[in-house]
Amino acid sequence: MVKTADKIEEEIAAIFSGDQPWVTIVWDDPVNLMTYVTYVLMELFGYSKAKANELMLKVHNEGKAVVSTGTREEMEHDVARLHEFGLWATLQRGDQI
Amino acid sequence: MSNTEGFRRHGSNSYIAEFSQSEREILINLTEQIIELLAERVDHGHEDPLAAMVGITSHDSPPEDEVLHRLLPNAYADEVDAAEFRRYTESTLRNKKQAHAMAMRMYLKSAVDNIVDLDHDSANAWLGAINDIRLAVGVRLNVGVKTTEDLEILAPDDPLSAVYTVYTWLGWLQETLVIALMDDSTIA
Repeated sequence: MVKTADKIEEEIAAIFSGDQPWVTIVWDDPVNLMTYVTYVLMELFGYSKAKANELMLKVHNEGKAVVSTGTREEMEHDVARLHEFGLWATLQRGDQI
Repeated sequence: MSNTEGFRRHGSNSYIAEFSQSEREILINLTEQIIELLAERVDHGHEDPLAAMVGITSHDSPPEDEVLHRLLPNAYADEVDAAEFRRYTESTLRNKKQAHAMAMRMYLKSAVDNIVDLDHDSANAWLGAINDIRLAVGVRLNVGVKTTEDLEILAPDDPLSAVYTVYTWLGWLQETLVIALMDDSTIA
């Protein structure tokens, strides 16, 4: 699949601007248990129980939550790990939330 | 379906559950279904062997099967980005999920007196595998569209009623393991 020139330009601009972090978003899912989501966030990101629980509740109540922020590569890594444990996660540019 | 007390922590790095023979057989059967389901997605032959060796697959569109799609979801809302990411990462994700299910199956197969004893890493593999089974069964049950109330009033002779019983039991089992593990991390 070929990327459009616009898209490539946009990405190059993002790389050089350096001030546009990417984010990993976890989406609410009717199957995953609340305690399990909290545990996965603690285990994968090293978050405290309180922080992981707060993020889980945000996912549950608001439908989604940003769980990590960083470079595109870092967020791709985070999404892959979340998918491994069955959480519904995507990444996107931070200014487009 | 609850002869077991679920998982409990036993010492610093040991999580134990005792199952009934039928529970153990059901769990083995479910892990095998997940392993087979993920294997259906493996590429067949005609691709570049070097690309296959480094984990690049010919898959750049999401699985048509709804269950597989839930197990191997898109990483981007944008379809072009999602396709590219999938091409480079999907086979790794599939392998990891299969490895979780295979680890769970191995522990169940080799259990003496139907008792499994997990360390932290194998407990995580179990959690991942149980969750994949719940996601797969959840798609079949239409969880999310159907409410808990809808599912609880299924007629006993409805085949989905037995599936729902397994689904809730797996959720309970998973929860006991999560609680045992969290207990641990609070202490650490």
